[in-house]
Amino acid sequence: MKTPSEENHDLIRWLDDEMTVGERRAFEANWQSDPELAAEAESMRWLSERLKAHLPAEIPVPHADFFNSQIQARIAQMEVDDARERAETAASTSSRFLWLRLPWLAGAAAAALAIVGLVWTQSGSSGCSTILSTYTPNPSMKAQVIEHVDAVATVLLLEGLDPIPAEKKVVGFHVHHAESDAEVATTTLFDENGAVLAVVALNAQGQPQMLK
Amino acid sequence: MSAAPAATDPVEQQLDVDLVIRSQAGDTRAFDLLVTRYRSRIYAMTYHLVRNDTEAWDLAQEAFIKAWRALPNFKQDAAFYTWLYRIAHNVTCDWLRKKKIQGDGEFDDEHTNHRAMPGSRTMPQGFDTPDRAIKRQELGQRIDQAIARLSVDHRQAVMLREIEGLSYEEMAEVMGCSLGTVMSRLFYARKKLQEMLKDTYENPI
Repeated sequence: MKTPSEENHDLIRWLDDEMTVGERRAFEANWQSDPELAAEAESMRWLSERLKAHLPAEIPVPHADFFNSQIQARIAQMEVDDARERAETAASTSSRFLWLRLPWLAGAAAAALAIVGLVWTQSGSSGCSTILSTYTPNPSMKAQVIEHVDAVATVLLLEGLDPIPAEKKVVGFHVHHAESDAEVATTTLFDENGAVLAVVALNAQGQPQMLK
Repeated sequence: MSAAPAATDPVEQQLDVDLVIRSQAGDTRAFDLLVTRYRSRIYAMTYHLVRNDTEAWDLAQEAFIKAWRALPNFKQDAAFYTWLYRIAHNVTCDWLRKKKIQGDGEFDDEHTNHRAMPGSRTMPQGFDTPDRAIKRQELGQRIDQAIARLSVDHRQAVMLREIEGLSYEEMAEVMGCSLGTVMSRLFYARKKLQEMLKDTYENPI
């Protein structure tokens, strides 16, 4: 952008009343010896006055009632969207830990910690699962993972658990990988062949339930 | 940004404060009243910048929606209108940047049929004879055409100064540029308008 000369800066500062009284007097005194500057100043002042007079600071909004009602409708929709998002986030977070309450794992929260470890597995180069880590909410308990590649088996050793009641049926899975679907808040467990082992979701009461 | 026309009457200002507090508590009816109080000013601002009534309508709405979302963070350390004005200005400038609207050739007669709201501070005072009213209308149309042909930066500079009455410092803050750039834009915008309206100055309508 070209830079206006000092004289032109003075002109618009004079026009916009941004000069001190002294500067203003000095600037206007120049008009006597510079009629061209005086004419330019007069022309600019005329323009500024016309602009102020013809450019409205307020313009009635077309369909004003609709304008307001649309804003209200959008706000209401945003509230619904926000609430849904919060619910989905909560469900997603909850689904990560719903394993801790699965009845088919003897109903013991500590036992489910192994599943937490299982879900977070990655396929190694051998095609077998690798449990990256385990987590025990109760520090007095300890989880140990034993993998046997030849047997295609993974053993979870949990120490510190209460004895599992005899009537509880414990089923073991070899979970190859798991996928979570945030939209429907389900998590599906797959075996090494890609077959579905189990699908877990929250019911209407927010409790985990096996769908398969 | 004291010069941005906010509610200067203490009673009006207090009403704004009350409505803002209620809105921050989730009262959408209070916010609806704020919308009603300022929609004409915000719409005028967006309209002057984009020169298209449909886009201006949408942008004004967007500004109010953004304001609603940002209300929890509004500390009332500035007047509500000043804060709202900045949001609307940013929304409009973002839109203009995306659209990359150029000043040349975008004028459309259909978009310039607005009239000042009776009682607004820019409404010409006094009574006109029919003949004088027609001449004033013609001059207004010429000014609208000339403004529409300015680049966005120049149009913005003229609008902030002549309509909103911002100081150079305030303009620099709103436009995100230096004082020197503000003065340059104002100077060249006025020179272009002066050139486009030269005949109306030399031969008054």
